Amino acid sequence: MVRKASVEEIINHWILAGSCILLIITGYGFLFKIEQIYALFGSNITMKIVHNWAGVVFTVSLFATLFNYLHEALAYDANDWAWIKMGGGYLSKKHTVAPPMGKFNTGQKFYYLVILLAGIAISASGFSIWLVQDNRSLTLASHLTHNLAFVLFVMAVPVHAYLGTLANPGTLRIMIYGTVPLEFAKKKYPKWMKEIGKM
Amino acid sequence: MWLRHRGEIMSAITENRKALLISPELCIGCRGCQTACKNWNQLPGQKTKNYGTMQNPPDLTPSAFNIIRYNEVPSDTNAVRWLFVSRRCMHCGDAGCMKICPAPGAIYRTKDGAVAYDKDKCIGCKLCVAGCPFDVPRYDAQGKISKCHLCFDRIADGLSPACAKTCPTGAIRFGDRDALIDTAKKAGYAKVYGEADLTGLGTLYAFKDAPKIYGMNENPAIPESIIFWNTVLKPLAVIGLGGVVAGALLHYVTIGPHKDADEEVKKHE
Repeated sequence: MVRKASVEEIINHWILAGSCILLIITGYGFLFKIEQIYALFGSNITMKIVHNWAGVVFTVSLFATLFNYLHEALAYDANDWAWIKMGGGYLSKKHTVAPPMGKFNTGQKFYYLVILLAGIAISASGFSIWLVQDNRSLTLASHLTHNLAFVLFVMAVPVHAYLGTLANPGTLRIMIYGTVPLEFAKKKYPKWMKEIGKM
Repeated sequence: MWLRHRGEIMSAITENRKALLISPELCIGCRGCQTACKNWNQLPGQKTKNYGTMQNPPDLTPSAFNIIRYNEVPSDTNAVRWLFVSRRCMHCGDAGCMKICPAPGAIYRTKDGAVAYDKDKCIGCKLCVAGCPFDVPRYDAQGKISKCHLCFDRIADGLSPACAKTCPTGAIRFGDRDALIDTAKKAGYAKVYGEADLTGLGTLYAFKDAPKIYGMNENPAIPESIIFWNTVLKPLAVIGLGGVVAGALLHYVTIGPHKDADEEVKKHE
């Protein structure tokens, strides 16, 4: 077995995922004034409190990811370009050999950067709506930013969840145990395996 | 789903839509309307400072649902032309506050066409302040919306709103919206402010001059960003999520999950 994710990383990812899903559910409640979703939380004001504080948790958790993924997500080479050209191998029925990837593949690195930037936008605008008063143009700009980022989140997160589970059998265990079999790791992350001397 | 809140935009033909007709030239600036409003709605008085104007309080507050603006404008015939303009919620037919409000039942339309609110359902997000084209909603000490509701409780009992009831000169008149527009037109006002803006305002003004002289916005509108959010982003939030979920399912059944080279070899054996 090879440890792909540390315990801290696993816990933080669950916190990030949990708060994100809670925020999306309450977000839809706000967006369409869905009384049934409000009812889940007891009252209108309770759902707002849940949404705001889940937002705080999400923001802190997102900040913590910087130490786990940012460095990797900013490193690219020729293999990444080749990976993009073949769509990561997801667009073909046949087995395709993807270019050798490091700990994270090109798509994952892009996904992280998108979530990081959209996450910063949705957090900052959320705090602005929550805390800043008597600034109409700022509130309107924050409202727009918050909703643009929301659309991005509700489209990106399900894709991420699909790719991390059904689309790639054997990867969900990273989110639970943090480890993968050595043979699996050699196939998926040859560059990383070489870096840490296991290949 | 996003079409569910049809009550938000009032259709052009609304039976029984009630309105106020404000005629500044009839107003003597007695502020009886302000007092009557406080009286009926049990709103406390506030200490204010003298800023060198009769206008008091200077603007709408959580406990001042209506005020008379004392506008001084240049005049050829008099030393000063003093315009008294009663200001309150405009009860827009297409209300920006209702559009942006995220809390079900917090701001709602009464059957008489008033934009009323339920403080128990208000979540205190203050987005309605940003959504209002007229800078009307205020927040009380509990952080809840506070504004004119056209005395919907009085209207329901067949009474006039407190301000209109108490006005001694007829500067604030209450009645069926269509009838009030007719009255103003017959009295020689070519244009009634609020007749068509935002699918018709519930507070109409009979102005003799350009609205801006009376301190009113010539073309009131809901902010563009809210229109964009309402017509594009809201549907997109549903179509986008549905699209990617459907796309993932389609990918799973057509292309299928990632296969290892060994698995493929096994299949060929």
